[in-house]
Amino acid sequence: MEISYVGENLISGQLGNLFIILSFVCSGLAAFAYFKSIHSPELESASWKKMARTFFYIHVGSIVGMVSILFYLLFNHHFEYYYVWRHSSTDLAMRYIFSCFWEGQEGSFMLWSLWHGVLGIILLNTSKKWEAGTMTVLSAVQLLLGSMLLGVYVFDIQIGSNPFILLREHPDMLNLPFVQNPEYLNFVEGTGLNPLLQNYWMTIHPPIVFLGFALTLIPFTFAITSLYIKDYTSWLKPALPWTFFGIAVLGLGVLMGGAWAYEALSFGGFWAWDPVENSSLVPWLILVGAGHLMLINKVKPNSMFSTYLFSVLSFLLVMYSSYLTKSGILGETSVHSFADGLPGQLIFILLFLVIGAFTLLAMRFKKLPKQQKEEELWSREFWMFLGALVLLISCFQITFSTSIPVINAIFGTEMAPPTNANEHYNSWQLPLATLVAIFIGIGHYLKYKKTDSKKFFKDTAVSAILSLVITIAVATSLQFQHYYHGLLMFAATYAVVANADYWFRILKGSIKKSGAAIAHIGFGLLLIGALISAGNKEIISRNNSGIEIKMNENENANKENIMLIKGDTVLMGNHFISYEGREKEGHNIYYKVNYYQIDDNGKYERQFQLRPFVQLNEQMGNVPEPATKHFWSRDIFTHVTYADLDDPALDDPNAYEEADTSLVKIGDTLFATNSIIVVKEVIKDIDLAANNLQPDDIAVGLRLEAMNVKGQTFDASPTLVIRQNRLFSIPSEVDPLGLKFNFKKINPETGEFTILKQEKTSNASDFIIMQAIVFPYINILWIGCIIMTLGSIIAVINRVRFPKLRS
Amino acid sequence: MKKIHIIGIIIVAVAIGVIMSTLADAATYAQFSVVDNHPGKEFQVVGKLAENSEITYDPKVNVDLFTFNMVDNEGIEKKVYFHGAKPQDFERSEQVVVTGKMEEGQFHADKILMKCPSKYNNGNTEGFTEIEANT
Repeated sequence: MEISYVGENLISGQLGNLFIILSFVCSGLAAFAYFKSIHSPELESASWKKMARTFFYIHVGSIVGMVSILFYLLFNHHFEYYYVWRHSSTDLAMRYIFSCFWEGQEGSFMLWSLWHGVLGIILLNTSKKWEAGTMTVLSAVQLLLGSMLLGVYVFDIQIGSNPFILLREHPDMLNLPFVQNPEYLNFVEGTGLNPLLQNYWMTIHPPIVFLGFALTLIPFTFAITSLYIKDYTSWLKPALPWTFFGIAVLGLGVLMGGAWAYEALSFGGFWAWDPVENSSLVPWLILVGAGHLMLINKVKPNSMFSTYLFSVLSFLLVMYSSYLTKSGILGETSVHSFADGLPGQLIFILLFLVIGAFTLLAMRFKKLPKQQKEEELWSREFWMFLGALVLLISCFQITFSTSIPVINAIFGTEMAPPTNANEHYNSWQLPLATLVAIFIGIGHYLKYKKTDSKKFFKDTAVSAILSLVITIAVATSLQFQHYYHGLLMFAATYAVVANADYWFRILKGSIKKSGAAIAHIGFGLLLIGALISAGNKEIISRNNSGIEIKMNENENANKENIMLIKGDTVLMGNHFISYEGREKEGHNIYYKVNYYQIDDNGKYERQFQLRPFVQLNEQMGNVPEPATKHFWSRDIFTHVTYADLDDPALDDPNAYEEADTSLVKIGDTLFATNSIIVVKEVIKDIDLAANNLQPDDIAVGLRLEAMNVKGQTFDASPTLVIRQNRLFSIPSEVDPLGLKFNFKKINPETGEFTILKQEKTSNASDFIIMQAIVFPYINILWIGCIIMTLGSIIAVINRVRFPKLRS
Repeated sequence: MKKIHIIGIIIVAVAIGVIMSTLADAATYAQFSVVDNHPGKEFQVVGKLAENSEITYDPKVNVDLFTFNMVDNEGIEKKVYFHGAKPQDFERSEQVVVTGKMEEGQFHADKILMKCPSKYNNGNTEGFTEIEANT
């Protein structure tokens, strides 16, 4: 029997599916029509092209349509759709709705396709004679990506995963009871967004990275087209601005990923050589190599094979990266990996593109322009070529190590990724980065074809000496631990100084012409910032009490976490820190950590407060998020590694524990978790009226003085009242210390008093284990990144607007 | 010999170096039975938290020591000493991957990867949480 469900919005999904099919079919038709136009005589070619454009515009319009519908469904919490149910929830702040969109595989494919579509429209309007070829390739790639959204079954094989599938029709849900309930929408609630993605970086980072990924496709389409039509050199000029725009955008995107990891994740750093980070860095490095090879081959096509190799490889590595991250093969090795996916289809698409591109390259290999004469040692092209090869080696190393799970899958081996990833990758990448930085420094002083070596040394000597002086100064003042840190520091400083010198001395400070110099300065700064902030990071939460507490005899015992009980003040690095307490706001528990310094009078002076927090998330587990104080010269990163989240005091911070009864005399001392209490004196002259007592009451008070670890004192005066024959007491609370006293009895014979001492539950249980790390000069890294992006964009604008300026 | 040939030879040599170093640095997945016989060698063990495992973490005694019992895929149970703070939500983990070695008859781990069931089933991007000891 058909169940008629209440409240479902089915029309949106049907429309969405229509757009998916329309976009898929039209990308295929566009590819076909463009392909026909390559081979047709002029008149026919024009009409094929016109038809292809129409299909392509419909294709892009359909992508915009499906994207809009998915946003509409997310905005209005239409949980009858599986995607909406799984990636969002009603209580999620609207500003994270974008993150919901691209959290899932389907959404990220849509975003990626959308960028391809936008770039395609620009390409078809600007690439003139290259339009037919490049757009054939681009449309064909869109066809492949579009297949990932189909969600249809062909002979029991699932093709694509549909973003508009209904919750009750999803394979995981079929046998669940709610499917039988026509009013299920009344109680269904979305599972929400992964807490780690509830961060503003996750709103901006994915679109930028996907734009960068999309931009790698353009040099690919040019390279494939030129191989196909056997026109081997004239594609370089139109492909260059695209390539450098891609370098700017993808570089920015990768670093934004680092910024997110630094702010939201708690591994303590901006880069961890995680497979997902690696697989967006590698296409960028290859794209940088491709761009530079295009530059030298535009002057003299001496290394066309490498130029082709790099130009197609960048996009193929993007496809490989999407296979790695979306197929689930990374499994146990990555914190980022997707658990589901369609590995078969992704492998098919990847192999199709790889085999297609390399077969074409192999077929044309013999016909590529040949090197006329061996390159001079003192020529710019020789060193730029070497630089590109260094980038290739760097990428090979990163890719090979990242691909361990793939190697296991193919060869049945049982390798696990290197335990100390940083050490493993750095041992290769540091020397390679040093080489690249040196090449960047000398590049501009080498001329194409042949350089006068005397002039070269004269031009570069000053920069080299200056860099050496700076390196020695920095290395000694920061106490570099390894000589190779010094080498990289020198190379990176040299890259900055030499390019700055070139910019101001040779180019006379012109902004228009110096995009390359500016970008190189940015890259050098980025290396310096990365080197100093990571190489000289200092974990200041090390146990420095000098007391070794050991549970078993083991040297492994690390001491990098620090325990803070509420109210304690502890010396950590140059700071005194204290944990003030916690606050629950919405889903987050904030831990207030105060940093103090001692002023001239020996008093604690609060400098700043950090509020690292734990986001409570029933669905996906609780997630801690660090807090960082930024200074211009360093960051102080603070992260709660452990806190008791089941503590009952969390819900009622004012509850008291059971009372402790003590018999005391004047001058006696009592101990509380956070203070020492001295019984000072008996108070006899109590103002009865002020205490709301009756005139004939007898009241005796006891003055207590509580002193905390900072030496601050607080008074308490619990009072005992005798009214007729009854005894009762007026308690006294010391709020800052969470203490409460009751005066119960006097024993006149012994001179002893009975006092009840109560502590707030939170006094004993409210503590955190935290870690604090200082990252020196990390701002140089971010500044370098921004300068590099700006420089690349200046170079692109310059190329597009003044194509004749450079030859 | 042309420069390009020299460069080619260097590149091939470096590429071989890259492969060798990766194979050398790569850790090995193993079961406790193997780990037991190779004290001092680092392994990664995949398994899960033992049922009724005693999970001890007493930060007031040592903030950087956390112990629990783990059962590997062959069903062998072993006590794991992790030198770091106890990961949030550890009890909820369905699968754990520990990296460490045998020392004086005890298994000492300096890295834990844990997978929580709900995270996994919901197929969110962050299936695993990685917790590193302080080194």
